[in-house]
Amino acid sequence: MSERAWIDRLQEVLGPSKVLTSVEDRIAYSYDGTFAQQLPDVAVLPESTEEVAAVVRIAAEYRVPVVPRGMASGLAAASVPFSGGIALSLTRMNRILELDEVNRTVRVEAGVITADLQAYVEARGLFYPPDPSSNKHSTIGGNIACNAGGPRCLKYGVTGDYVMGLTVVLPDGRVLQTGGKAIKNVVGYDLTSLFVGSEGTLGVITEALLKLIAKPGYVRTALAEFPSLDDASRTVNAILAAGVVPATLELMDETAIACIEEAMRLGLPLDVEAMLIIETDGSDEEAVRREMEVVERVCRENGARKVTVARDEKERAQLWRARRSVSPSLARKAPNKLGEDITVPRSAIPEAIRRIKEISARHGLPIVVFGHAGDGNLHPNILFDKRDPAQWEKVEVMAGEIFGVALDLGGTLSGEHGVGVLKRPYVERALGPVSIDVQRRIKEALDPLNIMNPGKVLP
Amino acid sequence: MTNPTPPRVSEDDYLRCIRCGQCLAVCPTYRLTLNETDSPRARVALLRAVREGLLERPTDRTAAQFFRCLLCGACAFTCPSGVTVDRVLELTRGEMADLGLLPQPLAALNARIRESHNISAEPPESRLLWAQNLPAPPTGVGKAQAEVVYFVGCVGALFPRSYGIPQSFVQILERAGVDYALLGAEEWCCGYPLAINGDLEGAREMMRHNLEAVRSLGARTLVTTCPSCFHFWKHAYPAALEEDLGLEVRHAVEFLADLLESGQIPLRDDLPEQTVTYHDPCDLGRKSGVFDAPRRILRAIPGVTLVEMAENQGGSHCCGGGGNLESMDPALSQAVAARRIRQAAETGAQVVVSACQQCERTLFNAARAERLRLRVKDIAEILLEAMRR
Ligand SMILES: Cc1cc2nc3c(=O)[nH]c(=O)nc-3n(C[C@H](O)[C@H](O)[C@H](O)COP(=O)(O)OP(=O)(O)OC[C@H]3O[C@@H](n4cnc5c(N)ncnc54)[C@H](O)[C@@H]3O)c2cc1C
Ligand code: SF4
Ligand code: SF4
Repeated sequence: MSERAWIDRLQEVLGPSKVLTSVEDRIAYSYDGTFAQQLPDVAVLPESTEEVAAVVRIAAEYRVPVVPRGMASGLAAASVPFSGGIALSLTRMNRILELDEVNRTVRVEAGVITADLQAYVEARGLFYPPDPSSNKHSTIGGNIACNAGGPRCLKYGVTGDYVMGLTVVLPDGRVLQTGGKAIKNVVGYDLTSLFVGSEGTLGVITEALLKLIAKPGYVRTALAEFPSLDDASRTVNAILAAGVVPATLELMDETAIACIEEAMRLGLPLDVEAMLIIETDGSDEEAVRREMEVVERVCRENGARKVTVARDEKERAQLWRARRSVSPSLARKAPNKLGEDITVPRSAIPEAIRRIKEISARHGLPIVVFGHAGDGNLHPNILFDKRDPAQWEKVEVMAGEIFGVALDLGGTLSGEHGVGVLKRPYVERALGPVSIDVQRRIKEALDPLNIMNPGKVLP
Repeated sequence: MTNPTPPRVSEDDYLRCIRCGQCLAVCPTYRLTLNETDSPRARVALLRAVREGLLERPTDRTAAQFFRCLLCGACAFTCPSGVTVDRVLELTRGEMADLGLLPQPLAALNARIRESHNISAEPPESRLLWAQNLPAPPTGVGKAQAEVVYFVGCVGALFPRSYGIPQSFVQILERAGVDYALLGAEEWCCGYPLAINGDLEGAREMMRHNLEAVRSLGARTLVTTCPSCFHFWKHAYPAALEEDLGLEVRHAVEFLADLLESGQIPLRDDLPEQTVTYHDPCDLGRKSGVFDAPRRILRAIPGVTLVEMAENQGGSHCCGGGGNLESMDPALSQAVAARRIRQAAETGAQVVVSACQQCERTLFNAARAERLRLRVKDIAEILLEAMRR
């Protein structure tokens, strides 16, 4: 039997246009949003659950790794095919299958781009809140597999809170349906949740049933400028203590501000240590306005130099475009960055930021801090030049220390990007031996051949 | 004369790409095929793989990925990391051509241009055929001296279905009393197709000839109706020839907006109400920053309500005609056009106006193929209709 027999089988079953074998194609499927890279043997572009199942059955028969892939915006190298095999791209499964306006649910294929789904439901007065900054270049399947969050999670929760049911192709090729439209459902284990955040290691999500809510009619967005980073991080708690739950509460430090300003020239202040972007929303215009007044007052009381409320949708859109560009615009400051994604209890944010800045000072490499401060999720990014081996060594030490800060303060390694391979070395410390053991057994039960995204998540 | 060595992609150009994927959301080819290979990110990764030896021997298949691209610049416009993707891809095409990997249809196009000095191997005299059935022969023909030279461009001059554009433009110039000249048989291809298909030396030959011809008329201003000629004259000519042209290079929309605003184009007041949307040509809008002038013209026309497509100005979506994709993959080019014309239809407009013979042609064909009741016009055409006699 030739080594390529399984590729021939794939081509027989799917047709050659869906099984890409050229080196050019394999390079295109060799990376994600990190600097990790490894070529798969083939990239496969199925168009239905049946085709996915057929691919997985062939993979199981020949013991070939299968790595599910959305739009590869992931920041944990979780869709990089380190063991070769099949890069299984869900991007062509991008149909919106059924909108149920009465039950407020929508059934979609896994490859739908999140922003496309959001535009579709919003045009009908409905709302799908989870809003990773990557919503225009990531898929619902990827969002579920990473349990993606975003600025709005503070008030509305993360992706997993909106997943009511899934269709999953299991590692042996069988098709599993979980959940359903009923809001209450306690029959059996909650298998839907098992696949949320599973990073493609337990099966391929092909369809999802998602919960929708009514679209909030009114939004107000403010930008608060803080001469002191410490004041900004204290303000986060002060706002929540004042009884307001903003839809979003985002923090950026001065380096982040400088990078966006360089990339986008929006006229952001360059002489402050931090900014908060705060949004209130709801269906009652008056209430939304009053909440924003409280936010403004609290910001000023806690040291904000200036609070500007966006006047119209255009100004608001611009603020968010700025926020979404932070992470990528860091490339202007240094050739490489290592973006972390720690969470800490909200009350510990000022302390966490102090310790992170201290790590940066001690090792002499800049760390930019921004993130979803409202829910304690911070993205410290270490900026460096990988071509300098001395710097790379430092970066690895610094990353470990940042995780240490999170764990010491009662938080964890990742709020939303997931473990992939990049955080794998630290998982044991974060979860402890019992949890690791249980998770290993789950993986073995579902994927005894270890073909489904092998080498990811668990140590 | 020594020529400057052709610019090459630097390591920094591709190392800047942090693979965030933001460009996938705006790339017309990726959005249609949903195959990462057809994305800007993959094209940059492929270039890097060639440079770093991950892909040892580039083949026709490798080169094809750089030519199956519209060079529309949507990727570069959206890239938060400052990768000038379209420029990088343009230079990479040159490197592929140097390796002998220029795709056959493009090699044939280059040969044609080098030989005949136009894109369709017509005799030089044909460049004025469009002027034959005008009410009166254009005064710009055969002039020895003029303030302004109108550079018609190959498509406008040689493709009968685009004749309407130069015809409308010169009629406006005549009626507005502009002292202009046409180069006629002395006009050669501007050189753009050669430059994006790896023949910079051939392009330089065109440039030198054209610049000489324009200078011999003592002109101060060069105006084009073609955004690619405009972009190329304005940015590539001075860089490639390493000299100041001593000319103001303008696109027709800028020129016409000035004429209109200085009262030289009186407009009728008996015009019907019409809803119009404007399609930004990539070379004029995103790549040259001209967004405002065409919109000022349209808003000034009585009866016109201007509506915008969801993707407009810097974020505009290519018409499908860019980068010679048509020669490489006509079906893909048509699918890009279909997507754009549907965006136009979604605005509820009755007319799509552009300022480019290429956009006009691809969008016209797409409207027909999609069976949409949308008229497609060039801005010179709609303005001439609105002009008082
Ligand atoms: C600029 C930028 C901003 C970002 N902002 C945020 C943010 O605000 N919040 C956030 O949470 N994340 C963010 N991310 C990270 C990333 O976008 C998210 O993790 C996203 O959910 C990944 O989706 P994807 O479709 O790109 O998946 P991929 O990157 O392709 O895959 C990610 C993981 O999911 C698995 N997977 C993908 N599809 C499936 C499927 N159908 N079935 C099973 N497994 C699957 C893969 O195997 C892999 O393990 C950001 C990334 C970038 C580059
Ligand atoms: S947007 Fe820029 S940095 Fe991001 S993947 Fe595209 S080219 Fe690379
Ligand atoms: S220039 Fe246009 S077609 Fe080419 S990669 Fe960029 S966005 Fe895609």
